[in-house]
Amino acid sequence: MMRAFLTLVLAGVLAMPAQAELLIRITEGADNALPVAVVPFGESGGISGDEDIAQIVRDDLAMSGEFAPLATDKMLSLPSKGDDVYYRDWRLLGQKYLLVGQLSPANGGKDVKAQFELFDVNQEKRILGATATVSAKNLRTLGHHISDRVYEAITGTKGIFSTRIAYITLDMEDGKRIYRLNVSDVDGKRSQVRLKTDEPILSPAWAPDGKRLAYVSFETGRPAIYIHELSTGKRNKIAQFPGLNSAPAFSPDGKSLLLTLSRDGNAEIYKMDIASRKLTRMTDHWAIDTEPSWAPDGESFVFTSDRSGGPQVYRMDANGGDLKRLTFGSRYNARPRYSADGKNIFYVHQRDSAFHIARMNVDSGDESILTRTQLDESPSVAPNGRLLIYATQQGSNSVLAVVSADGGSTYTLPSRFGDVREPAWSPFVN
Amino acid sequence: MTDNIRESNSNEVRPPWRKPVVLSALLHAAIFFFALVGWSWSNPTHEPPPRSISARLIMPEKTQPEPAVKPKPEPEKAQPEKKPDEEKQKELERQEQERKAAEAEQKREEERKKALVREKEKKAEAEAKAKEAAKIKAEAEAAAAAKRKAEKEKAAAEEKRKAEERRKAEEQRKAEEKRKAEEKRQAEEKRKQEEAERKRKEQEEAKRREQERKKREEQLAALASQSKQDQALADQRRAEQAAASKARDARMQSESEKYEGLIRDKVGANWFIPSSAQPGLVATLEITLLPTGELVSVKVTTSSGNSAFDNSALSAVRGISRFPVPDDADVFNRYFRTFSLQFDPKTLK
Repeated sequence: MMRAFLTLVLAGVLAMPAQAELLIRITEGADNALPVAVVPFGESGGISGDEDIAQIVRDDLAMSGEFAPLATDKMLSLPSKGDDVYYRDWRLLGQKYLLVGQLSPANGGKDVKAQFELFDVNQEKRILGATATVSAKNLRTLGHHISDRVYEAITGTKGIFSTRIAYITLDMEDGKRIYRLNVSDVDGKRSQVRLKTDEPILSPAWAPDGKRLAYVSFETGRPAIYIHELSTGKRNKIAQFPGLNSAPAFSPDGKSLLLTLSRDGNAEIYKMDIASRKLTRMTDHWAIDTEPSWAPDGESFVFTSDRSGGPQVYRMDANGGDLKRLTFGSRYNARPRYSADGKNIFYVHQRDSAFHIARMNVDSGDESILTRTQLDESPSVAPNGRLLIYATQQGSNSVLAVVSADGGSTYTLPSRFGDVREPAWSPFVN
Repeated sequence: MTDNIRESNSNEVRPPWRKPVVLSALLHAAIFFFALVGWSWSNPTHEPPPRSISARLIMPEKTQPEPAVKPKPEPEKAQPEKKPDEEKQKELERQEQERKAAEAEQKREEERKKALVREKEKKAEAEAKAKEAAKIKAEAEAAAAAKRKAEKEKAAAEEKRKAEERRKAEEQRKAEEKRKAEEKRQAEEKRKQEEAERKRKEQEEAKRREQERKKREEQLAALASQSKQDQALADQRRAEQAAASKARDARMQSESEKYEGLIRDKVGANWFIPSSAQPGLVATLEITLLPTGELVSVKVTTSSGNSAFDNSALSAVRGISRFPVPDDADVFNRYFRTFSLQFDPKTLK
């Protein structure tokens, strides 16, 4: 009797620790973008300028593809500082994060100071509070800066909203083809023409300091490679060899360029020391080798070669050895670009009659197509690796499109110009 | 002999409840006595009297010259005068003298009378006298013989009496010894009996104990058997309960799985995986809920090391106003009162 009782008690006791705590694994996140409310910033004093900081931030966050900003007219209240925030309002609206801020003139009205706070609505917690001051003329810079801070606070990833895009436009003006080298904000705004010529401009490439651009210009009638200092507008023609001079690519340390020359009879890849202009031939093949792109660690590079009969992507060590073909399964894979972390390459991939931007994991060889548009070309990866910009055909025009690096969302950059091609995403600029 | 002493001692402490035993002993003693008497008679070698009888025969020889007129006191006095008492001796001598004087007188009288008679009757009388004398002599002789015989008989009787007394004493002693022996024997017997009784009792006790033990064992065995049956019953009941419990567990499990799925979907829909998430980045949170599904608390038990990632998980959990939980309190308590959520993204943006 006692034993039976004990057994029961024991069984009861044993039953409890035997019950492991339930563990639920969450492997899938939300498909939709993260709801975020960016409340119009309050203004005190006279703020000159007609920029809507909050709208700049909303557009930036929306462009990232990761956020779904709430429209202003849906907001129940418009707080501009933390004390005025009622989480319940934002929770009711399903908002996960809330950005409030206010602008005030500084430096005698020449500058504008922004105070802004970011709140986690679910946790009812302020996760960011900061101030920033910019010239009153550069309110968009302020907007992008706030976007970067917000993006990083929420995602843990550095924002790219203050980086720039270089691209080439082609316009018909007075019956003539006009080529322009443009540099704009990532949202396409504040674009500035850096070079205008009636001869083709090709292959803009950013120096790692974000202050120089290298490109191919036919302005002299023959292709030549220039390095263009953006702040001063000073240009240096660094290569104008007989034959092809194309596809410049800065090394990660900014001291050398990879470029394609056919001065020895066939298109080969060379490395040029910028200071000494000394050339080192990297490839030696009867086929065309071109479009080199440095790995972020500078240890290797990828390029396009048709040595297999059609354009394919190859990889080579920085010292010229260990050649390896990376792409298969399609007769056209070209214009490779390394991702910021060096784990993936993005390239133009032909499928049937369409050309898409594809991504390949360098180690595994896994390939996925990121874009749904046709005739896509010239992929360029944002420095945080989250976004990819490329040119695509829209009607009769070529436009720039941004796609998240996982292929989740596409954002087409607005452009005043008709034909836009060869975008190049700048590195982080400080 | 030492046994005897010990026995007498043991006899002295004889408790009264042994009375029947005493009676029996007495009876035994009587039987023994008679047996012994019979035995002693048939065994005269043990009797010393014949010697003393022959010794006493001398005394009557000495007094034989005395006439048988006064035969009475002599043997009577002779006996007590055995003791060498001075006064008595003198008295006796005096009496002897007096007696002798009287006897002399008497003798002279008789002589004178006899002379008269003899003169009268001369021949006849002489003859008669001779005859008488012969007769007297014969009578005296006869008397003496008778006396002797009587004395002898008396002595013999005395001896016999004494012998008898001695015998009796002896018998008594023997009887006493025998009694004692008997008592001893009886005591021994009794002791033996008691011993036997004790042993018997002990045996009986041992037997009883053994029986009790056996009985107890049987009872225990029965109990054990009962217990086994109970155990079997309990086992069966437990098995049934286990089966029921298993069924219930299965039901609870399926109920649990259903709500696990609901929670997974809801948390997943609320989780905005931050872009900084890298493969292998995992955060584990511990959730405590009210039975209504409302969140009581959430804490990071295992950080991913990426604060934005941890925060995204926390935000996902806190963004749920009411978790889907089962109505069944048992299922809720077992699985959903406190549980863990592991944020382990498989698809990274």
